[in-house]
Parts: sequence; C-alpha cells; structure tokens
Amino acid sequence: MTETTSAAAPAKAPAAKFGGKGLNVGIVVAAIVTVAGLVLWGVQLSGGLVQTGMRNLDSWGLYITMFMFLVGLSAGGLIISSVPRVFGMEGFGGISKVAVWTSICCTVLAIGFVVVDLGQPLRLWELFAYSNLGSPLMWDIIVLAVYLILSIVYLWATLRFEGGKGSEKSLRVISVVALVCAILVHSVTAWIFGLQQGREMWHTALLAPWFVSSALVCGTALVLVVVVALRKAGYLELAQENVVKMVKLLGAFVLVDLYFFGCDLLTAGFPNASGAKVVAMLVSGPLAPFFWVEVIGCAVTAIIAFTPKLRTNPLIVAGALLAIVGIFCKRVQLLVGGFQIPNIDYAGVVTPYTATNWAGGMANAYQGMVYWPQPIEFGVVLGVVGLGTLLLLLGLKFLPLKPVEKPQ
Amino acid sequence: MSQKQYGMVIDLKRCIGCHTCAMACKVSNNLPNDIWWNRILTDGGPSMDTARGTYQHFTMDYYPLSCQHCDNPACVKVCPVGATYKDEETGIVRQDYDKCIGCRMCMAACPYTGVRSFNWEEPKYSIDFPVGDQDVPTHQKHVVEKCTFCYQRLAKGEEPACMESCPAQARHFGDLNDPASDVAKLIAEREHKQLLPDRGTNPSIYYLV
Repeated sequence: MTETTSAAAPAKAPAAKFGGKGLNVGIVVAAIVTVAGLVLWGVQLSGGLVQTGMRNLDSWGLYITMFMFLVGLSAGGLIISSVPRVFGMEGFGGISKVAVWTSICCTVLAIGFVVVDLGQPLRLWELFAYSNLGSPLMWDIIVLAVYLILSIVYLWATLRFEGGKGSEKSLRVISVVALVCAILVHSVTAWIFGLQQGREMWHTALLAPWFVSSALVCGTALVLVVVVALRKAGYLELAQENVVKMVKLLGAFVLVDLYFFGCDLLTAGFPNASGAKVVAMLVSGPLAPFFWVEVIGCAVTAIIAFTPKLRTNPLIVAGALLAIVGIFCKRVQLLVGGFQIPNIDYAGVVTPYTATNWAGGMANAYQGMVYWPQPIEFGVVLGVVGLGTLLLLLGLKFLPLKPVEKPQ
Repeated sequence: MSQKQYGMVIDLKRCIGCHTCAMACKVSNNLPNDIWWNRILTDGGPSMDTARGTYQHFTMDYYPLSCQHCDNPACVKVCPVGATYKDEETGIVRQDYDKCIGCRMCMAACPYTGVRSFNWEEPKYSIDFPVGDQDVPTHQKHVVEKCTFCYQRLAKGEEPACMESCPAQARHFGDLNDPASDVAKLIAEREHKQLLPDRGTNPSIYYLV
C-alpha cells in the first residue's frame, strides 16, 4: 500500500496540527479500557452470566441492545460515503474515508457485543460448521461478515483509486453493492426480533424498514459529530454548506423514524386489544422515560435541522447527539419491551434464575423494568466501546484517511 | 410432520396442584438448584395457590407448564446451530447441550413464558451425588435446557417421570398421530385447549377443561 500512503502525504501539510500527543494519549487510554473490559469479560465467563441482570424471563440485555445500536451506527458512515458516489454528488469526497472507517469500527463493535453476550464463545466455530440457514441470527452473522468485508474492500478501493489505480466505475459498483448490503444488514438485524411470533411488541412487518430509518438517523448523526469534531481538530475540511446538507438529511430521517413510530403505536393501540398493553408500557409504563427522551429528543433534532437560524455548529452537534441518544432509547424500549409483557403470567415457582426481582413472585418480577443491567455489564460494554475507540484512533493515526485532492 | 408426534394430555379437572410431577421431573433429570423444567402455575390470584374473585365466586385452576413440544416450534427455527431440534422419530423438541452456543435466541422465540431455562452459572446441587436416571445428559454451564419428555426414559420404553408419579392420574402420554392412543382418544372425546393457539405453534400438550 505504498502508493496510497504517498498519495496521502501531500494532504498532511495543511492538517499538520492534528494528531500528536493528544491522539497518542487517547490511544493509550482506549487500550487500557479495552484490556480492563477483557478482564471483566473473563470474570463474567468464569463466574457465570448470573452476575449480569439477565435471567430466564429477560434473557437478553444491554449487550444485545448495544448490538442493535451499533449495527445502526455503522450504517451512517457507509451511506454518507457511498450515496454521494452512487448518485454522483460532489463535495463529500473529503469525509468519505473517515466515514467508512467509522462504519468499519462500529461493525466490529457490533460483532463484539454479540460475542460477549454468548454463554459459550468457544463454540463460535459451530456457526460455520452446523449453520442453520433458516435462523435469522445466522442470516445476520452472514450479512454482517459480508458487510464488514465489503466496507474494508470499499475503503481499500477508495485508497487505490486516489492513488491513481482502478477505475471510477469499479469504485462506484463497489459503493452500490456496499449500500445495498448496508440496508440488508439493518433489515436482517430487525428480523432477529421482527420474525418472532412469541413477542407481541417485536412481531411486526414495520420493524425492518424502521430499523433502516433508525440506522440512518443515528448513522448520519454520528458522522456529523465526528466530522465537525475532526474539522475543528484540523484533520479535514468540509464546506459548511455540505454540513448543512447532512443536517437537513438528518432532519428528514428523524421525521421518517418518528412517523414509523407513530404508525406502529396507532396500529398496536387502535384495536384496544393486547397491543394496547404495549402502548401503555411505552407511554406511561416502566419504559416511559426512554420513550419520551426518544420522542422529544428526535423532535428537537428535527427543529434544529429545519430552522436555518438554529443551524450553528454547537446546536448541530447537540441535535446530532440528541438523535443518537434518542435512537439508543428506542433500542432499550425494543429490547426490554419484548420481555416486559409475559404471555403467561400465572403465579408459580419463581427462583433467582427466573428474574432479577424474583423474591416477590411473578407479580413482582414485572414491577418496574423486568431488566436492568448490573455493574459488570456496564464494565464489559465500556471495554468493548474502548476497543472500538482504539480501532478508530489507530486508523486515524496510521491509515491514510485524510482527504486528498480529487484526482482528475 | 413427523411420523409420530408424542404429546401429553393433562386433565385440569383432575390436577390437584400438588407439584409431585414437578418434583419427579426435578429428581429424575437431576436438575440443578433453582431449575424447574416443569412448573405448576396457579390460574387464580396474584400468588401461588390463591384464588381469584369474590366470596362464593372464587375460581382457581392449575396449569402444569413445561415445554409444549410444538408441532411447529418457534425455537427450532431460530437456533443458529441446530442445537434445539425436532426429533424425526418422535416429534419431540430436543436440546443438544454440547452444541448450544448460549445465544438464548430460542428463549426469546418461545412464546411459552419461562419453559426454557438457561444455566446462568456452573450448576449447583443440594446433594453431592447425582440423582434420578443414570443416562441423563450432564448439565452444563451457560447452555439452554428444558423438558425433554424424559427422552432417556422413552428410549427404554418407559414413560416420562411426571406421568408415573401423578397421584391424581391427571396426565396421559402417547402418540397424537395414532388414533388408537389414549391421548388421541381423549382429545376426540373431551373438551380441550392448547396454550396460546394464536401463535401458530400447535403445541403437543393438550389441557382437558
């Protein structure tokens, strides 16, 4: 890859103030957090998943929430980088590589969160030896792997192209394929939940398009935050009008996402049958804080995005962060909500493995949220996020991701 | 559809809620502490063994609940490695502990709340030697398990442990696809229900009401 590094070299001059000590400190801190996370994961595996807040009645928790969330975040980078290329839009070339690199890091993180959730990570090889191709989880593993490889190929092809090799046409073809794959990744992740006849809240055809829209929201928001920050740090340059374009795009995505939420709530609630429980749980039940943070946060983002006066850099970043937090809250609602309403709630024998709040029987198990993470889960999550940050910073330091002049 | 479909018919009019079947299951399968594959639920008030309603209009029923060995099992479809599978010969939904990767997808998929249980830590036992059937597979940490219709007993021509010990003789076991079997006859004769029929899983446990 010598030709690519040499191609990137001239661009280093104007952005020389980026990097240096701060970046190195960041890398060291991220590495320490990663190692601490690995140690905690070891503790979790040896002492058992009983140390987490997950139990038989709420068999998934923060890890799978983070998995959903990170898959969503990973979309943005790839889409922001490939859409302009697919449709021949100008002006976004500068952030293309950083965006794809962010996307690659998020995908690695998403896979990491599935791995730390597994009871038997040493049996991961079975996924390839005994694949049940009918399982949505298997589809997701395949699509995620393809997505990761494609993102890397796309980044490599971009670098090659900038080094004067490869044709623009082939790069465009790769970007189209990567874009299609990005949309597939979100749909398939949604199907892990949406195809399950057992859980009222998850079982809806809307879930796949909704996951795509949520991914677009938090993905675009993440790229905005990263780009504005990197611009400030002097790593790259991007015209303000292009930032504004992205903000408007974010506003549109947020509105679509809220529209889907509205459709879903209406369809669930209107018959005033079992679905009304789902609506009540979200609007005024145990999940209400997450519901209202999402709805209000996303609405504020939309207002910032569509009011020209409010589109100042601090507010843009604040709006983007609100959107990211909002989508995270949505993931929490989806995950916990699936477990919060039992299909069979008759009183019976309850043990410490049934639910965290088991002592008061079935009736008490669902008081408040049926699941709340334990400290070790926050620690492991921090460790996995540390790994992602480490990758991101190492990429910024060692990979030629800085913008170069468009070779014409 | 498998050639055979083993199933169980439980007579709710006979069940007295004594939990003997739950104990028999626990002992025969050498279940670790805090794990119950077979639980007796009270359809009544908020706590076990309490009734619902007002004086002179109380109602209370018992639902023995374990894996429903569905004809169309939600869990089997979603397991990424085929660790939970439908036995071709018997129609029983089985679980391969050695294969299970502990992803808990089946627990999310199963509509029957709490019938699948995960070993959240290294299995612990109140007594320091194994009890029950000798050929029960060893329980493992971090895998999902559940009722197997006492597969080890069926292999020897015996019936599931919960069947044998029921003092009220509320349980009947046999091949639902064989019209001459007890279970098929009971379903033909008596009023019955399956749990959560709207989920389309077609469970092999029938409750006589």
